[in-house]
Amino acid sequence: MNAVTDISAAPTVAPFAARGITKRYGNQVALQDVTLEIPAGRIVGLIGRNGAGKTTLLNIVSGIVLPSSGTARTFGVPTDRLDTPQLSRLGVVQQEGGTISWMTVRQHLDFNASFYPTWDRKLEQRLLGELELDQKRKIIQLSTGDRQKVGLLLGVCHRPALLVLDEPMSALDPIVRARALDLLLERLRDDGCTVLVSSHILNDVEKIVDWVICLDKGEVVADSAFDELQESYAEWILSSPAGTLPTAYPEPFVLSQQGDSRQARLRVCTNEYNAAEKFASAFGAQVQKRPLNLEEMFPLLTNCRRDAR
Amino acid sequence: MPPLLLIDHHNGVPAYRQIMDQVRLQIATGMLPPGTEMLSTRALSAELALNPMTISKAYGLLEHDGVLERRRGQTLVVRETHGEEAHVGRIEPLRNQLIAAASLARQLSVSRPEALRLFKEILNDETK
Repeated sequence: MNAVTDISAAPTVAPFAARGITKRYGNQVALQDVTLEIPAGRIVGLIGRNGAGKTTLLNIVSGIVLPSSGTARTFGVPTDRLDTPQLSRLGVVQQEGGTISWMTVRQHLDFNASFYPTWDRKLEQRLLGELELDQKRKIIQLSTGDRQKVGLLLGVCHRPALLVLDEPMSALDPIVRARALDLLLERLRDDGCTVLVSSHILNDVEKIVDWVICLDKGEVVADSAFDELQESYAEWILSSPAGTLPTAYPEPFVLSQQGDSRQARLRVCTNEYNAAEKFASAFGAQVQKRPLNLEEMFPLLTNCRRDAR
Repeated sequence: MPPLLLIDHHNGVPAYRQIMDQVRLQIATGMLPPGTEMLSTRALSAELALNPMTISKAYGLLEHDGVLERRRGQTLVVRETHGEEAHVGRIEPLRNQLIAAASLARQLSVSRPEALRLFKEILNDETK
């Protein structure tokens, strides 16, 4: 199954790798012993509830904050020693701010372009059109959505090798959001750019990501290829007209359950072949199964530590 | 004319699976005759707005399964199949639908003769 030739030959250095990083703000723990690697040439979705530590992790990737302990490496370099060779290949789109509000869009683009020899004017022009941005307007006069568009342009026009985006599309309308998603895919196709994007808009995330990292209360609760998540999580509807179903399902792969002795709806996580059929026949029941989308998976992912047996 | 593939991003079925199923079905129905060149990974990824990784996984598995083959360097084409293999490939999509129908029949306690009679009846209706 996994013996598939990969189009992007794996580079030796991961764009980002963390070993046992913890980040504390005072006595508040934002990240707790996080170890992970962002695989190159992928679009990684970073998901989790408010306060899960997503922004902290993204800020550590880009070197904006340093971990309290553990090691974080971006392009193989410890993040407290990032310098021009790394920073010039990094694109950062912050949730808010990060722009100089008195400048016009035009001025700001020129200002940022002056730092990057690789700034792509053609790409910039095209994106101004596609994202419907008026370059003559001052940043301070822009709506939240238009400011997010400026953030996207500032993050991608130097054609980075690693693009880190924190909730980049929350205020964009559906049309522009679709174009922004296309933009991320295009960066991957054209430049092999690795993309790490946090978002609560899971319907968007699942259109483009091929890897999912889920944080909960500062800890990594999922770090997996999206395909594998989709093939593990499912809903099973068990039905038994004779009323032979048990009152509870203690099996660890059953993550949530509701129903009675005649019908039950289970949300499960298992990779076993034909698990549903075997499970149902043990109770003399019929089963209908269907996969879960990311939005349906999300509560199961973020609850799994509390349910862990 | 490239094959028309429709990906549902929200039904929980991995996109690479959806591509594989649809390509198999189009081959079975003759929409994609043997020798047809598939779009490149890059082109299909742009067309479907999907991650190139997803396309290459689907193509890689279809090649591994002998549905597609690589010709003249990198071009992927629909592999020609004969006899038993071709026949199995053609009826597989129907078989999958019938597995689901059979499961429903058991659930509804529809007897075998009754289920078979129903299928024959539907087949006859369609050909009229």
